[in-house]
Amino acid sequence: MALDSLVLFTLAGLSLAAVYFIVTAGLSLVFGALRVINMAHGSLYMLAAFVAWFVVAKVAGAEFGFWGALLAAPLFTALIGALIEILVLRPVYGREHLLQLLGTYALTLVFAGAVRLVFGPDVRSYSAPGFLYGGVPVMGHSFARYNLFLMAVAVVIATTLYLVLTRTGLGRNIRAAISDPELLAASGVDVPRLFTTVFMIGTGLAGLGGVLVAPIGSVDPGMDANALINAFAVSVIGGLGSLVGSFVGAVIVGLVLSFGSANSYTAPWATAFVFAAMAIVLTLRPWGLFGRPEQ
Amino acid sequence: MTKPIRLAAFAALAALAVAACGGGGGTTTTTFKGTKKVGITTTITGNSATYGRAITRAAQMWEAETNDKGGVNGYKIELSILDNGDDVAKAADNTKQLILQDHVVAMMGGVLSSQCQASMPIAHQNHIPYIAAICNDYRNTTSPDFRIPEYVSVVPNTYMEATAAGIDAGKNTALKKWYILSPDYSFGRAETPAFVASLKKTNPNVQIVTKESEWYIPLASFNFTNVYPKIQAAAPDAIYSNIFAAQQAAFIKGALQTDPGFFTKYKFMTLSSVDDYQGLGDIYPQGIRVYERAPFFAIQGDKIKTFVKNFRARYNNDYPSDWAVMYYDALTVWAAAVTKAGSFDTDKVLGVLTGGSFDTLRGKITIRKEDKQANVPVWVGTTTKDPSYPFVILKDIVNPPGNDLLIPLDKVLKMQNGQCPKNDLNNCP
Repeated sequence: MALDSLVLFTLAGLSLAAVYFIVTAGLSLVFGALRVINMAHGSLYMLAAFVAWFVVAKVAGAEFGFWGALLAAPLFTALIGALIEILVLRPVYGREHLLQLLGTYALTLVFAGAVRLVFGPDVRSYSAPGFLYGGVPVMGHSFARYNLFLMAVAVVIATTLYLVLTRTGLGRNIRAAISDPELLAASGVDVPRLFTTVFMIGTGLAGLGGVLVAPIGSVDPGMDANALINAFAVSVIGGLGSLVGSFVGAVIVGLVLSFGSANSYTAPWATAFVFAAMAIVLTLRPWGLFGRPEQ
Repeated sequence: MTKPIRLAAFAALAALAVAACGGGGGTTTTTFKGTKKVGITTTITGNSATYGRAITRAAQMWEAETNDKGGVNGYKIELSILDNGDDVAKAADNTKQLILQDHVVAMMGGVLSSQCQASMPIAHQNHIPYIAAICNDYRNTTSPDFRIPEYVSVVPNTYMEATAAGIDAGKNTALKKWYILSPDYSFGRAETPAFVASLKKTNPNVQIVTKESEWYIPLASFNFTNVYPKIQAAAPDAIYSNIFAAQQAAFIKGALQTDPGFFTKYKFMTLSSVDDYQGLGDIYPQGIRVYERAPFFAIQGDKIKTFVKNFRARYNNDYPSDWAVMYYDALTVWAAAVTKAGSFDTDKVLGVLTGGSFDTLRGKITIRKEDKQANVPVWVGTTTKDPSYPFVILKDIVNPPGNDLLIPLDKVLKMQNGQCPKNDLNNCP
């Protein structure tokens, strides 16, 4: 492989990784702290993308609307997340996981119908602000400036989450919830409030993902399922509940997809490689590369 | 209350009840012999939901117009429309439900070719006519593995539209190196080799810069970040694509993000539709070459003008997409066949359809008896902005007649007789 292709495919892989990490981080955080697999994670990602489209296309335009959406949409999905946690999940904590799965899956159907009712079935589109548009020259070719922006945002999100988890009281409680939820409850922490907060952070991150990813794709009623499938693959490989696992899992998946599609022999198998990796990890280390076994 | 007054009151109530029950699509004065159902399983949700809405709108408009005119053979037509969410298994389940529970007298085909292929065996088992309006894998009428006697196609099949596109692309001899991008499912696998064959036949000097194994991308892939470097590394003169709907929108947007001059640097030939133009609005590139199945703005005649006027009046001034035009035609053709047959009986209806000619929005079409494929045309043009429309339309349009695009009869017969290895037209002796 020529050097320019090697560089471009690496950048493409890392750019894909950034997208996957942004989408997965919230899902992983919620599972780690609450032991809840939020099937509606993709729906909130989609909802945020539609809200962002509305803000950009109908309210504020591409230049200011994008930044406004970046604030408004995650806030919106975080508030929806609070309602979901209080009304749907709180009654079923401590009970079998199937109830949580069914509850959050039911929400995906509700959100799918609601989005179609409010926004219609058409494919929508919005662009990022002008200064993020276009490509930067990379070894004689062009690489989307926006993808570099996504990579930077992913690093910021990862760093922020790491600092919150390791340097704040909230983070300490979240780590305690991941390690030993019973002891946490016994220590006097308001666990229900903590869980709601964590769920809001997780769903807010889903919303952030929706706003950030839509400018390089489209906003359509089927985007929830696509996002969720990729998020699960990354989470399983990296380890549900592990921030480091989400980051590493995203990088693995991104690079596998990018280099896997690079030549004629592996191109038909690129997607299969990802799910093969998922199957191998599930077989050999079901809690993922950086996850923790269930107690 | 005296007896005569009670009788009069009862008669008035009865008349009101009859009027209420005879409502729906028909006029209060129309008396139907009964109701016949027609089944549609389409993508009301999912990645192709835009197409599903166009189909549903056109179908419901046709239903209302037909019943206003007295129905078909004196029967009120009721459409049973079920959502398959782009899912193949769901499309098959819906077909079973429509046929076995709703007792539909005909099925209109799905959006994705894979959905049609999953539904066709069910239509065959129950001997119900299956009219393909959107799904268009040419193997549906030629492959011994897929074809059923009940299947009739009024949409240009993958061979036909690929041939039209390939001839057009090949005529631009400056475009020698081509990159191929196609969705990895039955439609893409059928259409893309046909395009390449037609392109190479028109211009034997072309070179496809990637191997066939690299042409196909997963249907659910919406991030092309790893595709743009491949294209740039291959440095083609042109790109051929038949990805559609949300996937096409994602590819175009990402390409323009990568390089605003992307479609100037790499000439683009793609399948498209009015829905795709509307989805991207001002972002949709101008100056690219596209092929369409039924662009309302390019079709001549009074029928299409009336259809567009009625569609816009009914649906908030929205313009009908290609899928709306084709679905309306499919229902029109089926109804015309039923009327001529004087019956909803499948054998009689198929007897009229096979070899029959019908007036449609796209002009007069004839359904070839050997493969029950209609000689419907394809439109190829260059996207351009027109102040009359809020989306791009086409200029420099080429509209090869359907008869010129049909699969040669000898190849049809060879395919049907299993003489073409791997059911591939390109492998026929």
